[in-house]
Amino acid sequence: MKNRNIASRIWEARIDYLFLIPGGIIFSAFIIFPLVASFYYSTLNWSGFSELSEFVGLENYRELLQDEFFYGAFKRSFIFMLITVPVQMMLGLVLAIILNNKFLKLSTLFRAMIFLPVVAPIAVISIVMALLLSPFNGPINGLFQSLGVVSGAIDFLGSPQLVLWSLAGIFIWKWTGLTMVYWLAALQTVPDELYEAARLDGVKTWQQIIYMVIPIVAPFAIVISLISAIHALNVFPLVQATTEGGPYFSSEVMEVYIFRTAFAPSSGQFPRLGYASAAGVLFGVAVMGLTLLQVMAARSTRKRRQEAELA
Amino acid sequence: MPDLVTSSNFTMWDLFFTQKRKRLITSILLAAFCAVWVYPLIWMVSGSFKPNSELFQGTGLIPDSPTFSNYGRACAEANMQRYFVNTLFVTIGSVVITTFSSALLGYVLGRRPLPGKIAIFGLMVFTLFIPQGYTIIPIIQLLTMFGLGQSLWGLMIATCGGSIVVFTLLFAGYFTQVPKELEEASRMDGVGPFKTFWYVMLPLARPVVVTVVVLQSLQAWNDFLLPLVVTLANPKMRTLSVGIYSFKGEHYIDWGGMTAASTIAIVPIIILFLILQRFFIDGLAGAVKG
Amino acid sequence: MLEPFKGLVSRRKFLKSSTAFSVATFASPSIINAANFMLPTGLPAPNGPLSWLDSGGRKGKFHKAALADYGKEAGIEVIYDGLPWSELGKVLPLGIRNGSAPDTFCLPNNMEGAVAVNENWVQPIEDYIQNFQEWKAGFPEGSFIEGINVFDGVTYGCPYGGQRRYDDAVLFNQNLMNEIGYNHIGATRGFTYDEMRDAAAKMTKAGTPGIIIGGKAAWRWSTAATHLAQRSGATVGTWGLWQGMNFEKGEYDYASDHYVEAVELLLAMRDDGSFFPGVNSLIPPQAREFMTQGAAGMIIQGPWNVPIWQDAAPNFNFGVSPVAAPNESAFGNPLYNPSLMQTGNLMYINRQAKNPEYVGGYLRWLGTLEGQVAYANVGTCADPALFPQVLEQAKLTKPEREMIEMGGRLVRIHPNPSVRNSDVAKVAVAFKQPTLSSGHAIQGLFTGQLSGIRDTLQGLTDARNKALDDAIAKAKTDGAKVDRADFVFSNWNPSEDYGPSQYAEL
Repeated sequence: MKNRNIASRIWEARIDYLFLIPGGIIFSAFIIFPLVASFYYSTLNWSGFSELSEFVGLENYRELLQDEFFYGAFKRSFIFMLITVPVQMMLGLVLAIILNNKFLKLSTLFRAMIFLPVVAPIAVISIVMALLLSPFNGPINGLFQSLGVVSGAIDFLGSPQLVLWSLAGIFIWKWTGLTMVYWLAALQTVPDELYEAARLDGVKTWQQIIYMVIPIVAPFAIVISLISAIHALNVFPLVQATTEGGPYFSSEVMEVYIFRTAFAPSSGQFPRLGYASAAGVLFGVAVMGLTLLQVMAARSTRKRRQEAELA
Repeated sequence: MPDLVTSSNFTMWDLFFTQKRKRLITSILLAAFCAVWVYPLIWMVSGSFKPNSELFQGTGLIPDSPTFSNYGRACAEANMQRYFVNTLFVTIGSVVITTFSSALLGYVLGRRPLPGKIAIFGLMVFTLFIPQGYTIIPIIQLLTMFGLGQSLWGLMIATCGGSIVVFTLLFAGYFTQVPKELEEASRMDGVGPFKTFWYVMLPLARPVVVTVVVLQSLQAWNDFLLPLVVTLANPKMRTLSVGIYSFKGEHYIDWGGMTAASTIAIVPIIILFLILQRFFIDGLAGAVKG
Repeated sequence: MLEPFKGLVSRRKFLKSSTAFSVATFASPSIINAANFMLPTGLPAPNGPLSWLDSGGRKGKFHKAALADYGKEAGIEVIYDGLPWSELGKVLPLGIRNGSAPDTFCLPNNMEGAVAVNENWVQPIEDYIQNFQEWKAGFPEGSFIEGINVFDGVTYGCPYGGQRRYDDAVLFNQNLMNEIGYNHIGATRGFTYDEMRDAAAKMTKAGTPGIIIGGKAAWRWSTAATHLAQRSGATVGTWGLWQGMNFEKGEYDYASDHYVEAVELLLAMRDDGSFFPGVNSLIPPQAREFMTQGAAGMIIQGPWNVPIWQDAAPNFNFGVSPVAAPNESAFGNPLYNPSLMQTGNLMYINRQAKNPEYVGGYLRWLGTLEGQVAYANVGTCADPALFPQVLEQAKLTKPEREMIEMGGRLVRIHPNPSVRNSDVAKVAVAFKQPTLSSGHAIQGLFTGQLSGIRDTLQGLTDARNKALDDAIAKAKTDGAKVDRADFVFSNWNPSEDYGPSQYAEL
């Protein structure tokens, strides 16, 4: 059976290939094509709208690797991810565990409330946050001042030291609801009988959680953290809408850098789509590379641990 | 109380903090937490009823001089109701197409022995890592080639591309777990492959379908840059996110109008989520397992 | 583009707006006095709506209303769009590529007209304006310049606004100024650097931060610094490619003493604590609005504030004054603009326009005395009209008049390399702006992320000069005949306009 040649196997599966078509078209048109086009653009010195463009090969990449702003944006993207992902994961897990209790009244309502920011459009959130965090009579500043925590107004979104943290805070606020829901889903895999049995054995709730629940949902952590990490690297709309990468680039994460080079030049400058495409490609490759490294490292530690246990 | 009687490790702590009390305290704490969590959005709604001059005066949640003028402006000047309809069209359309396509794709990739399956999978995962944001130009080029560069249909189709990979993977994951017997049974009944899919497999995947519907609705409803470019010359076609933007001028920002428009934009999607909440979570549960 | 409402108007609007795009006329009946637009004869049937795109603002308010009236008279539907410059810059090129760009538009503010012509985005306006030569003769001298809006003798860009406009003034809360004893400062007498610093500090001590600026927009920093430097005597350009370029020497000159002093003033005020605490999270419109709510005592911003404040906050008692100068002897130093006509507002006709004749008809009216007066009544000092005689006839308030007068007295036209040599446009296309723009550099100095004023400014100068050299070299390989000497103007008297006779001397 296994030796049937490719051709006949394809023929057999022809209906299945048919099924592939709608999704396949969308995927090819809107994901593969732009990707390939970006690869192509990255070799050009092109503004994106002009008729003139010229092939420069890897010149854009060379320039990128010498651009301190590229590295800055790269670093910031990763810092952002390293701040937001763990916090989101933990907060989401804690909330999921608390809200998983069917007996807790209104747990559905609470879940909905926490999920609410996920649903709000970024444009809306950026407006609301700009108003809330405003140093001029903004409620948050008002609260801090009346509590006596600080004397002057804090410029959450305009101070280079604070801005990335403020953005991280907003990001966490918006997306923790989704992480919570993912964890809730994972928690469904813990059978009710286990809880019952543990309670009858006199195991306290917090012990149940640590020794029973967490080990069961731990494998999900990998998937959830991966999704969250990818999410954190796609934070463009939030940053662009609130700070545009400022002040003085202190909140410029990778996608904002790409957008700035591709479209929004400072005075006297032409947009440079070719250059921006190269940045995108380079970043994507780097992220993939890092993920692969991480996966391989995880695998090898697991293997080593298994070998250690066997020995 | 059976807990105390049967368990042997209770202390004064347990005596005081009974299950019921624990739950009550937890509820109260949670309520406070959620109130704070949702505060920004409540603030936005309250702001939409405040006149512009009041927004930065540091008044609390209750407006000093409540007014509907912001909403009036949002509808009369900025045409929010039309944008609403447009957004609805794009969202519903892209949801239908995306759900259908990704379900088909996920079904095949998840269950059928397809030559080249691994390659396709790998390719899809690969694309997840590349940042978006500047892919707008090739997409516009593509749409223009087919004469869709300025139409709401074009926008709708392009919106499908956003998360199709993730959705396909979700479906694939879910379908991998469905037992083979169901398929074989229907095959033996002489049902063709497509009908099998439609009447047997898809209903089984209902939780994932709901998840995809919710997530795609979210994405389509809130999308900004793509609609902005496509509807540039046709204000009639604009969507809500683009419309909200019109309150931000070069020399003047109409904060009140913006919050009113934002409230209009946010209400339907919240309602949708509230209705579909339970299915959404169950759907994710099934999908994440895979 | 929305304007703040008085309750009466919104009700009226509700009743009036029955069509999908309620491009309604505004409250004040004096917006359009013209009873007729002198419609051209022989207009073809409309081909869809007439679409207009500009950057909004005060002139946008005018066009939106005037176009609506024009549309009614000419029998064509009208779509007006005013997008902020940053959106315009993104959306217009894309629109041109996919054929959805409007019939007429102004160019993004970093794009030279020559580029648009070379790229075939636009077509000449001459065919669409009846009696073109006669009409053209009614304009003041300097409105049609080869290399700016005329190319190879054919006119592409239609001027209607003037740029003898005082782009950055020190606008202040009059009550606060009186309180701290600076009530002698006004349109005829600006601050000296020391006075400004002192006034800001006094205001802060009295309870209100002295000065505010829309710091989130990096270009605000460089514009403010450039204007301060010009008042100190720097003979540099202000906008775009020409910012910081000393035309006597023909090179960028950010590290001159003038600039250093200007930045030092800003940083000194920061060190005094006189700046509003959140400047870097404010965009200019926000800063403007906050002034009316007492967030700060002074702001360095443009004349468009005046009509906006008058409309939005009629109770706000404010005054205007020229930008601060280092000492009294420098009070006569002018600000520099690249041309008499406002180039940012030049309207071009889309090569793929569906209704170019209708566009032409409107533009024609705009370029007549009647059109200009109507425009001046709304544009006032924010977007002044081009015809100088109009400013006598227009209805202006006191601060508006003061701003216009300041413009007349203290703004001069600087030499423009594009006019001297049209190949300079190719240099502009090839120019790769170093990421560190002047705005970002000064913003960085302000936040403390960069240190060493002179070094930073010198770095800026060197980087930009090098970029210019590279651009020139690149343009040469593409066949342009241009070199560094084209940027040197030895016959310029900085206290006077540089006009056609000076170009002829070269």
